[in-house]
Amino acid sequence: MQLALQILANGLLLGGLYALLAVGLTLIFGVLRVVNFAHAEFMMLGMFGAYWLWELFGFDPYFSIFIVVPAVSLLGAVVDRLVIQRTIGAPEVTVVFATLGLSILLQNAVLSAWTADIRSINTAYSSSVLVLGGVRLSVAMLISFGAALLFALGLWLFLTHTLYGKAIQAVAQNRAAASLMGINVRRVYLFTFSVAVASAAAMGVLIAPLFSIFPRVGQSYIVTIFIIVVLGGLGSVPGAVLAALLIGVVQAGAGFLIGAAWAELTYFVIFLAVLIARPQGLLGRRGAEVYGG
Amino acid sequence: MHSDAGARPAAVTVAAAGAALLLLALPLIIRDIYWLDLGITVLVWASVATAWNISAGFAGGLSLGHSAFFGVGAYTASLLFLRLGLTPWLGMLAGSLLAGLLGALLGLITFRLRGPFFVLATLAFGIMVHIIAVNWRGLTRGAAGLLLPFDGGASNMLFAEFSTYWYVGLGLLGLTVGVSLAIERSRLGYYLVALREDEDAARSLGVRVVRSKVIAAALSAALTALAGSFYACFVQYIDPASTTQFELSVQIALIAIVGGMGTTFGPAIGALILIPLGEILRARLGGGPSLVLYGLLLMVIVLAAPNGAIAGLRSIGRRLGWRRRRPHA
Amino acid sequence: MLEVRHITVNFAGLRAADDVSFDVEEGQIVGLIGPNGAGKTTLFNVVSGLVQPSAGRITFQGDDLTGMDPADRSRRGIGRTFQVVKPFGGLSVLDNVIVGALTRGQRLAQARRTAQAVLERLQMERFCHAVARSLPLALRKRLEVARALATAPRLLLLDEIMGGLNPTEVNETLALIQELNAEGLTLLVIEHNMNAIMRIARKVLVLNQGALLMEGTPAVVTRDAQVISVYLGEPLEPA
Repeated sequence: MQLALQILANGLLLGGLYALLAVGLTLIFGVLRVVNFAHAEFMMLGMFGAYWLWELFGFDPYFSIFIVVPAVSLLGAVVDRLVIQRTIGAPEVTVVFATLGLSILLQNAVLSAWTADIRSINTAYSSSVLVLGGVRLSVAMLISFGAALLFALGLWLFLTHTLYGKAIQAVAQNRAAASLMGINVRRVYLFTFSVAVASAAAMGVLIAPLFSIFPRVGQSYIVTIFIIVVLGGLGSVPGAVLAALLIGVVQAGAGFLIGAAWAELTYFVIFLAVLIARPQGLLGRRGAEVYGG
Repeated sequence: MHSDAGARPAAVTVAAAGAALLLLALPLIIRDIYWLDLGITVLVWASVATAWNISAGFAGGLSLGHSAFFGVGAYTASLLFLRLGLTPWLGMLAGSLLAGLLGALLGLITFRLRGPFFVLATLAFGIMVHIIAVNWRGLTRGAAGLLLPFDGGASNMLFAEFSTYWYVGLGLLGLTVGVSLAIERSRLGYYLVALREDEDAARSLGVRVVRSKVIAAALSAALTALAGSFYACFVQYIDPASTTQFELSVQIALIAIVGGMGTTFGPAIGALILIPLGEILRARLGGGPSLVLYGLLLMVIVLAAPNGAIAGLRSIGRRLGWRRRRPHA
Repeated sequence: MLEVRHITVNFAGLRAADDVSFDVEEGQIVGLIGPNGAGKTTLFNVVSGLVQPSAGRITFQGDDLTGMDPADRSRRGIGRTFQVVKPFGGLSVLDNVIVGALTRGQRLAQARRTAQAVLERLQMERFCHAVARSLPLALRKRLEVARALATAPRLLLLDEIMGGLNPTEVNETLALIQELNAEGLTLLVIEHNMNAIMRIARKVLVLNQGALLMEGTPAVVTRDAQVISVYLGEPLEPA
């Protein structure tokens, strides 16, 4: 029982991390209709940003987050202008491979610049653990979890209760109509993409004290995040959070029962099953699988 | 399509004949093992990319999981040889049959999916096969890989002479290109392109979606597996990293795209350009930087020239004044 | 030939078709009119199989079409054009039509001949090798018809094929429709061009907000007060 609770807790915390990445990706998916294969690379850049600021200046990640996130968002904005916006309405091939190429480029640029050496940040709280009812919870993970949920909540409130948020939703639903209504679609794209990139970078900074930092680190996350986004439903922020927590728990549980590698296989199976049976995911809109954009 | 028969100018036929002769005579001209090896590698990837194009270029299904079929071909032939002593010539057929079935299955799962959903499904499929290859150590020996002992000579597709590999590879490419051409000019080809251009219109005209897509997927997978089996016999050592990895799926797609997706000869041209280029870059710049360029190339190509080299060649041809003999519109 | 019974279509709260029932007899030309958004194209989508109705049944030549794929319906003889034309843009005009002929079961060479014959009949043979996406709208609409005709349909659903045509072209199209009908083709025609409908349709169905408002001969329908008021309250010109 104790063990089950521990696994559940681990799973939920992990899910929270995934949520932060997934929400950004689902936003890009939902609004720009772009599969951002490079999403996890922005997380990786966040991790490296936190690392170098810690290594060179001794900045604590919870401080450097205020430097790293804006910096990576700026990069995101540039990427949006130069790359992403050129893929809107382009043939399928372009949409998929532009971000895939970006992902390869970013991974290997970092690899070339800073080598494949695995780095880590060890702060005072890196290994602090909170014990709650016999369950051990990593403090850093808890903070990240909290940040992720706060961000998701904030984003959701923004999308549903502010005028600009509704404009973003309008673009997600029907970009032609939205633009006819006077919404500056390109600016919405820029904003959305930058916010999504910012959230990825933020996640990177938050988990830097916990996990190993290396150029390919994004690869271990990106497919899981795609699975989460599809499971939760394209463009659905609550869906992404729900699916993220679910997958986190499944991963922790399956990992414990059948080992990490085979666990990975289980949620690929889940993924394919969802795509066949209910392509719009848990909370997505029907017809999302035949998205028109 | 090719409804305007007899429009090829004589120059193209001569060039084609010349190229064919050159290909057949190549091992006699080039003796350096290094270049022959590179050439054979080009043949392998040209075949795979051409096979990929059947499902992606013709039917419009961008698969990012084709390395799975390559791996199935490589491992099936190798395992049948190592465990049962079955000659790879037959093992190849077994591998391609298995891959064909898997491809058909994947086609059945994904035919309703469009856009990024299809891509992600194939990606998931590819990674699943990779995970199995890495972890089912009892079968595949995982990351340790399989070593094919040089045992038994020609009947086991293990040749002392590189040039023999070249001819077998040429045969493989010829077969794949032949199938691709046959499809292009057939009922299936028309159906696939119609589905790619406008699926609803195609359905309303009577084109059977599932049947067409599944057949294309199965053929594409089977041909890819043949190349995988050949590759295993050529390099004589395979492991998941060299056969089922995601990076390979990307490479296959990139080769086809650079050369010209949707055309039969495009992927082969893409392989001719990219494989040697990759070699040179890797040698000069090392792994990291050459991949940076690779990623950059991918981005630039799909943003600036998504129709690939063939489209470029065609427009050069047009500018040189080749007029296709057909009624004016 | 075609029996439409209680067809209802719900799209997430919007009732695109509301308990619509009517018949199309073999050999008839039936007109389908109604203001924009009345659900005419939705009805076509249901008959051709692209959209599954929430309720109701379609019977064609005695066979229940429920659950049947559009491709199978086409092979049974239901052809259609699309209001917003859907050519196979990258293919030539001839190749577009060949696709239709192939699904009939013809071999490629024969299909090519069939396609050429259809294009000749529609006076498009000189555009055979033009790339479909390079055609102007009027020709694209004709291509839609050619493609559908190549499948040798028994019932042809035409969705506003006269939109954007000049009077000469309208006359040509009407003549073609009448020729095809004389050869045994049954037609269900959506049109906004009332004069055209009046000249060819034996029976007219009027749709409004998803529901069938009335059905009758063109003369009766165009004089009906309800129909008139549904179309902005202007009386329609007699033929």
